[in-house]
Amino acid sequence: MITPRVPTGIAGLDEMLAGGFLPGTANLVEGAPGTGKSTLAMQFIEHGITAHGEPGIILTFEEFPEHLIRDAANFGWDFAAHQAAGRLRVIQTSPEVTLADVRRTSGRLETLIEQIGARRVVVDSLSHFERLAADPVELRLLGFELINALKRMGLTAVLTRENPALLGETSEGDDDLAYVVDSYLLLRYVEIESAVHKALLVLKQRGSGHATDIRQYAITARGLEVRSRFAGTHGIMSGTPVMTHTEAFAAAFLTPGKK
Amino acid sequence: MADAQDDAAHLMDDIDPRLLDLLRTRINTFIKWDLVRFFHANPHTADTAENLARYTGRDVRVVEPELRQLAQAGVLEVETLADLRVYTLTADNNTVALLDSFMRACDDRQFRIKAIYHVIRSLRRERERP
Ligand SMILES: Nc1ncnc2c1ncn2[C@@H]1O[C@H](COP(=O)(O)OP(=O)(O)OP(=O)(O)O)[C@@H](O)[C@H]1O
Ligand SMILES: [Mg+2]
Repeated sequence: MITPRVPTGIAGLDEMLAGGFLPGTANLVEGAPGTGKSTLAMQFIEHGITAHGEPGIILTFEEFPEHLIRDAANFGWDFAAHQAAGRLRVIQTSPEVTLADVRRTSGRLETLIEQIGARRVVVDSLSHFERLAADPVELRLLGFELINALKRMGLTAVLTRENPALLGETSEGDDDLAYVVDSYLLLRYVEIESAVHKALLVLKQRGSGHATDIRQYAITARGLEVRSRFAGTHGIMSGTPVMTHTEAFAAAFLTPGKK
Repeated sequence: MADAQDDAAHLMDDIDPRLLDLLRTRINTFIKWDLVRFFHANPHTADTAENLARYTGRDVRVVEPELRQLAQAGVLEVETLADLRVYTLTADNNTVALLDSFMRACDDRQFRIKAIYHVIRSLRRERERP
């Protein structure tokens, strides 16, 4: 039997995820500022609406909907039209209001999901929950609560989170949320021969296989494009020893603190 | 002198009577105008006074009473969630359509000048109230 999938519409990424996310799961996309977390999340929503007839909801804690809609238009995604057609809602709100809302029965979010038949949701970004609790244990519980509420509502969720580490080193410590989510994607800047590249790794995907190698990706006029395995064509084409690239990526992802 | 003032007032009143009423009774401060602009541009906003103050770059002590008045005037809705008071745009289609035509009218400089005149008058009336 083939497990149904929730494709992101990002060709190379879906391949890495063995077809896409699993339905009704919470998927964490983490990366440094500007790595394309919001773009990936918007693409996931756009693809759901246009390719699968799956309405979506975006909860934005930072960027105003009017700006987010403008950013989407930049990639050719007509979020204004989706909203007018009742297939999308971009909601400006805060973590505290969201939590209070999902704690009650038939809250605003739950009612809205019913109304538009939403199947996909984006939360951009989880980092704003840090305002609510200083204690990492409490913070994890809040994140856990939100994730469970979204699952209870039957949604497949993409949650973004900032990681302040720009190049190489991963931030240490309270990575509790990584245990709670069903899949964990890491976006990173990688420096190779004084040029900055973007690289992506699927750190985990619960209940499914996934690619374990590191891939290069780019943000283009059509959104994220995941390119082939980095150790392949690039090194050969540029005449640079393949190991240089592979090592650079390995250093960025696999040996925290070292570069 | 009084005649000239009357003339000016007359000129300034020359806008859609529904919008004139909106300016006199509901969007009667610049902060309300700003908040309405924000909710109109981001119609699915649901948040507290504290956060709305942040989004519009103002002090919550200034914003909160204005939000409350907008809710009383039926422009916004307010709901109590646990210990939070959450503001949203009204779900009433007629009011939304009215705000729509207000924001569209604001694209016109002549209208804006008249609207500003009415807000200033409202503010002055408010200040002079015994
Ligand atoms: N049309 C485009 N073509 C190429 N790159 C683009 C295009 N539009 C935006 N970008 C790039 O996408 C990146 C922004 O992506 P996005 O906002 O998704 O990042 P983010 O990880 O969410 O960042 P933040 O942490 O600031 O929220 C920027 O580096 C920007 O230069
Ligand atoms: Mg972002």
